[in-house]
Amino acid sequence: MKKILFALALLTGFIGWSQTAYEKGMSKAFELWGQGNSAEASALFERIASAEKDNWLPNYYVALVNTTESFQSQDKEKVSALLNKAQAALDLEMVKNPENDEILVMQALIYTGWVAFDPMTNGMKLSAKVMELYDQALKIAPENPRAVFGRAEYEMGGAKFFGGDIKPMCAEVDRSIGLFEKFKPATPYAPQWGKDRALMVQQECKK
Amino acid sequence: MKLLTALLFLFSVTAFGQHTISGKIVDPKGKPVPGANVFIEGTYDGGSSDDQGTFSFSTDTSGNQMLVISVLTFETQKILIDVANYQGQTVKMRESVNALDAVIVTAGTFEAGDKARVSVLKPLDIVTTAGSAGDIVAALQTLPGTQTVGESGRLFVRGGEADETQTFVDGIRVAQPYGSTTNNLPTRGRFSPFLFSGISFSTGGYSAEYGEALSSVLLLNTQDEPDQNKTDISLMTVGLGLGHTQKWAKSALSINTAYIDLAPYQKAIPQNLDWNRPYQGLSGEAVYRYGFNNGMFKMYAAFDASRFDMNQENVNRPFVKDRVELINNNFYLNTSYKGNFGVGWQLTTGLGYGYGQNKIGYNLNDIENVEHAAQLKFKLRKSFSDRFKLSFGADYFVTDFVEDYLPVIGQSGQSGYNANIAAAYTEADIFFSKKFAAKLGARVSNNNLLNETVVAPRASVAYKVAKFSQFSLAYGEFTQAPKQDYLKYFHDFESERASHYILNFQYARDRQTFRAETYYKKYDNLVKFDSVAAPLFRTVYDNSGSGYAAGLDVFWRDGRTFKNLEYWVSYSYIDTERNYRNYPYAVTPNFVADHNLSVVGKYWIEEWRSQLGVTNTFMTGRPYENPNDVRFMAGKTKGYNSLSLSWAYLLSQQKILYFSVSNVLGTQNVFGYEYTRNPDANGVYQRREITPTADRFFFVGFFWTISQDKKSNQLDNL
Repeated sequence: MKKILFALALLTGFIGWSQTAYEKGMSKAFELWGQGNSAEASALFERIASAEKDNWLPNYYVALVNTTESFQSQDKEKVSALLNKAQAALDLEMVKNPENDEILVMQALIYTGWVAFDPMTNGMKLSAKVMELYDQALKIAPENPRAVFGRAEYEMGGAKFFGGDIKPMCAEVDRSIGLFEKFKPATPYAPQWGKDRALMVQQECKK
Repeated sequence: MKLLTALLFLFSVTAFGQHTISGKIVDPKGKPVPGANVFIEGTYDGGSSDDQGTFSFSTDTSGNQMLVISVLTFETQKILIDVANYQGQTVKMRESVNALDAVIVTAGTFEAGDKARVSVLKPLDIVTTAGSAGDIVAALQTLPGTQTVGESGRLFVRGGEADETQTFVDGIRVAQPYGSTTNNLPTRGRFSPFLFSGISFSTGGYSAEYGEALSSVLLLNTQDEPDQNKTDISLMTVGLGLGHTQKWAKSALSINTAYIDLAPYQKAIPQNLDWNRPYQGLSGEAVYRYGFNNGMFKMYAAFDASRFDMNQENVNRPFVKDRVELINNNFYLNTSYKGNFGVGWQLTTGLGYGYGQNKIGYNLNDIENVEHAAQLKFKLRKSFSDRFKLSFGADYFVTDFVEDYLPVIGQSGQSGYNANIAAAYTEADIFFSKKFAAKLGARVSNNNLLNETVVAPRASVAYKVAKFSQFSLAYGEFTQAPKQDYLKYFHDFESERASHYILNFQYARDRQTFRAETYYKKYDNLVKFDSVAAPLFRTVYDNSGSGYAAGLDVFWRDGRTFKNLEYWVSYSYIDTERNYRNYPYAVTPNFVADHNLSVVGKYWIEEWRSQLGVTNTFMTGRPYENPNDVRFMAGKTKGYNSLSLSWAYLLSQQKILYFSVSNVLGTQNVFGYEYTRNPDANGVYQRREITPTADRFFFVGFFWTISQDKKSNQLDNL
């Protein structure tokens, strides 16, 4: 009996340990990212993705880390390498979850990266696609604050360029902040970023 | 005690399972690569390489495992290792040939469009170039290697005639790429730039995939996926346009129609033409796409019906004009499928069909002709790796042409031909490294009408010498059946031949491109005939002609130096002579100018929401034949210059007003001269100038896009 209990204990311990490996890995990756070590963070997310084939989050974060990083670089070669890396990681999950609103928002973000990379060439080509992706995400999850905010911010960019009115977009930004406050991630580590940026844009609207 | 056993047990398990994996990551030159992600596939076990390129981590796995090494700008490597014995190993990474700065084979080719990494023309340029008026061909004429032949409007490349350039839509040949026209009245390409996302224009040394073109190929690709549902409306001084795009879950349909009528314009601004009925045309294009999981089906269809009726001066009969009337009906259909299957296989297959019908009235005589042209194409491509790709394919062309000559007096006659060409080709793309790439191929084709089989080898290599600079070298043999004008009367020909040798230097960085290309082209088997003027039914033909063309093409594009200004400069020098047609000996043909210079500029003014465009084209004089001179083709026209301006104004995000004027300065340009057949009483042959149909051309248009996102506009259609 004791032996069985012992074996059971060992087994549950094992399972418990396996769960913590994912949690430990994810926490560590977020810690690295928080410290500004995005290359290490991306590497760790990539390793977690290789072990957790049924979980879309690690690859999602590979895409998010690299895309965010691309916005901070001026080096064209690096930007294109980062965006290609992000796209490759997201492609793996897009096939499995074509109806995931967060993945659609992520795709819109990668395209936004390409538009920033070369507005003359990519602006015309990708702008409509970006908007379509946000619309698609909102159809699936009308209250997704990242989709509401992302769409508003992207549209604001266009309106500023053409000297259009940005008030309706600002209203959407305000609405997204309400949604950010209400938002409860469905699982631990599910995306919950974006509120800080929305608050920043809201400040700009008030100017 | 039990606790101790358990602990011990646990400890020993861990100790047993732990292996250390360590090593060093280096690049092809042996330099350490920091930041590489090294891990065992399917586990959490891994680490990153440090500044010395070294890595070390422990793993609980055992036996053989897959070690993955991934790092930006290098190819991801997977190595099967025995975890018990993998310490202190050095792994050499290979640079990714997909990286932005990898070498590309560029000799002879200009890319425009989405997928091109070094794009000399952007899709927008086709339409915002002043003077091009949305004609793809007119925009391409601002690139080096082309000749501006104003009275024709077609593409003349590197000393070749217009029909030495073949046009392909989605890889399928278009038998009648230009609108029908008559003597010295310029035509334009049939394709609106609206539906195409990629354009590749090669002035020589192109892939073995393309045959039956001596000088050049123009590859147009329809958009894979339109952006959104939208309607485009255009109101122009020369006509109306209407376009609509509808998207569904997996498919999309775009339709584009245009009605062109020069009658109101002619009333407002008379031209140097005596019209009975000014040009009138109705055309439409449609693209349907359906996306499968692993591939895409596309159907492109275009129709074009046009007519005009005019009186043309005839130098031989000073007081009576010739009446020329033309009615043209054209239909083109193209279906293609491109898909992936298996591991690294890609299949491209397609069918193209073109129908062209012309009714030409020349005074009281009529000529009617009908052409049916079809192509069947099949191509397979296998990617063995990023570094080695092999493609092979087959083509089948069918052409059936019949022409009836119906004179008011005398006997009517019929001419024509039916030709079948079967061809096969193979080609390999090889990357030896990120710096050195090659393309090798060959094409074999059989023409049943000429009863002839020809083999055409092609090769090109490219080598990157510095971060932004590279050299390319290309060689190729090209063959083409003689043109319709001859084939309809006589069949016992051989194919005409050309050999290309090209050396290209390219410097390309962000928003800056410089290209310099020298070439030598040798022509053989050109058609010669014995009649004085145009080839006729009873003319004697042979393949004894030859020729050469050598030259230098320079291109500079810059959007980096000045804010909001994008400009390019093209210069071509050409030295060419041909002994063909009814030439007594080799001379420079009358469509060639030795020096060609184009300058194109576009300036965006934010406060005015306007884009101003300017294009200036200059070329030195062209030869012409003067029968008063004993030497052949010894005359030379004066130089040609044309300055065009355009202004696009964004009324709102979806409404654009567009103005353009070609040849603002009103330069009196002369393309050549037409001489009388017989000398006058003083023994002198009289002549008439061949000039543009109008000194200036004004264009005003209003373009309106109706779409959901209220953001897109037709700026890229102008």
